[in-house]
Amino acid sequence: MQPALPGDSARAPQGDRNRTMKATIERATLLRCLSHVQSVVERRNTIPILSNVLIDASTDGAVRIMATDLDLQVVESMAAVSVETPGALTVSAHLLFDIARKLPEGSQVGLEAADNRLTVKAGRSRFQLPTLPRDDFPVIVEGDLPTSFELPARVLAELIDKTRFAISTEETRYYLNGIFLHVSDDGQPLLKAAATDGHRLARYTLARPEGAEGMPDVIVPRKAVGELRKLLDEALDGNVEIDLSASKIRFTLGGEGGVVLTSKLIDGTFPDYSRVIPTGNDKLLKLDPKSFFEGVDRVATIATEKTRAVKMGLEQDRVVLSVTSPDNGTAAEEVPAAYSAEGFEIGFNANYLKDILHQIEGDSVELHLADPGAPTLIRQDEKSPALYVLMPMRV
Amino acid sequence: MHADETEDEDAAPGLRKIIHVDMDAFFASVEQRDDPDLRGKPVAVGGATGRGVVAAASYEARKFGVRSAMPSLRAQQLCPGLIFRKPRFDVYREVSQQIRAIFRDYTPHVEPLSLDEAYLDVTEDLKGIGSATRIAELIRQRIRKETGLTASAGVSYNKFLAKLASDQNKPDGICVIRPGQGAGFVAGLPVRRFHGVGPRGAEKMARLGIETGADLREKDIAFLKANFGSFADYLYRAARGIDLRPVRANRPRKSLGGERTFMGDISAGHALHETLDRIADIVWGRIEEAEARGRTVTLKLRFTDFRIVTRARSLPHFVSGKAEFVKLGHDLLDEMLPLPLPARLMGLTLSALEGEDAEKPQKDMAQLSLL
Repeated sequence: MQPALPGDSARAPQGDRNRTMKATIERATLLRCLSHVQSVVERRNTIPILSNVLIDASTDGAVRIMATDLDLQVVESMAAVSVETPGALTVSAHLLFDIARKLPEGSQVGLEAADNRLTVKAGRSRFQLPTLPRDDFPVIVEGDLPTSFELPARVLAELIDKTRFAISTEETRYYLNGIFLHVSDDGQPLLKAAATDGHRLARYTLARPEGAEGMPDVIVPRKAVGELRKLLDEALDGNVEIDLSASKIRFTLGGEGGVVLTSKLIDGTFPDYSRVIPTGNDKLLKLDPKSFFEGVDRVATIATEKTRAVKMGLEQDRVVLSVTSPDNGTAAEEVPAAYSAEGFEIGFNANYLKDILHQIEGDSVELHLADPGAPTLIRQDEKSPALYVLMPMRV
Repeated sequence: MHADETEDEDAAPGLRKIIHVDMDAFFASVEQRDDPDLRGKPVAVGGATGRGVVAAASYEARKFGVRSAMPSLRAQQLCPGLIFRKPRFDVYREVSQQIRAIFRDYTPHVEPLSLDEAYLDVTEDLKGIGSATRIAELIRQRIRKETGLTASAGVSYNKFLAKLASDQNKPDGICVIRPGQGAGFVAGLPVRRFHGVGPRGAEKMARLGIETGADLREKDIAFLKANFGSFADYLYRAARGIDLRPVRANRPRKSLGGERTFMGDISAGHALHETLDRIADIVWGRIEEAEARGRTVTLKLRFTDFRIVTRARSLPHFVSGKAEFVKLGHDLLDEMLPLPLPARLMGLTLSALEGEDAEKPQKDMAQLSLL
């Protein structure tokens, strides 16, 4: 499926030269649609057209709204009450969104473009906004997207939730600024998603969906991941179609007339992360993730920005969490646990631990430890699709 | 980076005894000491050929107008008999160790500014001498005896005044600014002598009718703020001879770098790249000299309208060597090309130095890495 994009020449409407257009849309529909696309638009833009959304009303009564930041674009179609004059124009995304938010509930919004102005009418309100021509609006050229597969929206949302917190924000290692997607054949065909910031790693594994075989390794940028996750929230019961090449990826939600998110992929090589996943950690600690999380959270109250380290003293069937701060004093808490290996102490960044524990469902979490300087493997159990590796801190 | 200055003020109460010791024409004097043929002659340390610059000039050379950071060719024009010597940093570092050892006989509070310059806080000296002037004289005598070189010293009750004083009777001189004399001393000085006031700053002050410390003192803080922004606080205090910064032993170095103003304005890419090579040579020399390692490289350009633009790149690891340092510089320059205006100055700096992390979030030190 290749959804027609507003940039397609076949769709260039007659009236475009004069930027005329007239359509009426339910305020709720317009607001929902704008709320989906407007966050793509960067608040500060040096290129005026990038502050705008493209509004394209066609004869069939559909109005498309599109936003872009040149790396990521979102197109959403909505049903108009009526389209009197088909046409397209661009107008400030945040202005139109703010206006739509403040218009009375249940109102119908008239959009009428003429003379480089867009008139927005609802009830007794009337706004006139400057426009820029649709032809100046940059559209990402998708090119061929030879790999196509589908995933249930719920699965895709879980994949994102379990990995995105580990995405690096460090610009120097730009290739870590996204979720790495790749297929592999470890006995059975798998699709794996991984993210790391060099201190922790999150990996989510699922059976390889049909159509994903032979797909190139791709890194989906952080912003695209965030926007996609927001869109998924409103379409959790459906499927998402994913089309990709080595340089672009497209997510189509809600089938025809839904939302299409297209993103450039990060042009880089994700490191071979499999080598940092420990396989021989023989000290197994099991405990309740909720009381563990809460304990870490409590003792970390003492930790300052400088020393976020939480020390874990592992003893027979218990863990003593402690924090010592030169400024704030000390904190300690004992958490019951199942542990029978040799006792030792290890430190972790409290926030990293909490990020991971936050993603653990169920009433048990496993920590596979080796020593205070080695990566620790964390997972719910051996069957869980998500796996985490956390590097300790020296304490 | 400047946040610690406010803390410093709180930590520096009472009247102190500060000495600023500054070796006279250090590199050049070492060369003259080690080669009797050079004594009494104009000597420059630095590369003589094509693109070299003068790192230091003897007093004989200074009479001709030769100054450090001057292109060697220009120096030779000014002083036709100028004798060039390649810098011998090993020797300079050795002498530097010698003089620092002398300082430490009198006080543990020694803050070196470079190889040849240091502040000493002798409010409580180790030998119980009590007189800062006496200590300064003893130090100068010992430096002469033990290294065969001369040093100038400034004695006062803060760093700002001590540094002004050491410059007062150079070479081989001493000057004391006693409590109560600071404001008077500063009042008579041309503002150009204030540390941090360059030719442009002095020019601007002249336009505002400020020629001397006394002129500066007449201006209120609001006026200074309006005209000099964040520099105002410093100027306000300096004009009153006030400086509360403590002498900080083992003060960590924040960055290492160098910059130079071109003889003529440059806008062509290839010429800028060539200039960058030369600056990188000098700066890398300093980096090696200091045995420093750092993660951030910053390129600075000042345009003909005096606007300054900087570009920086930080690596996750320390810059591995000169080749990488130079390459990062060129990459940064490429990002800035083409220039909106010709450039009149270029600077290259290495920062985020090793050891700096110790002051910063412990997290970075303590957090182990996966990749």
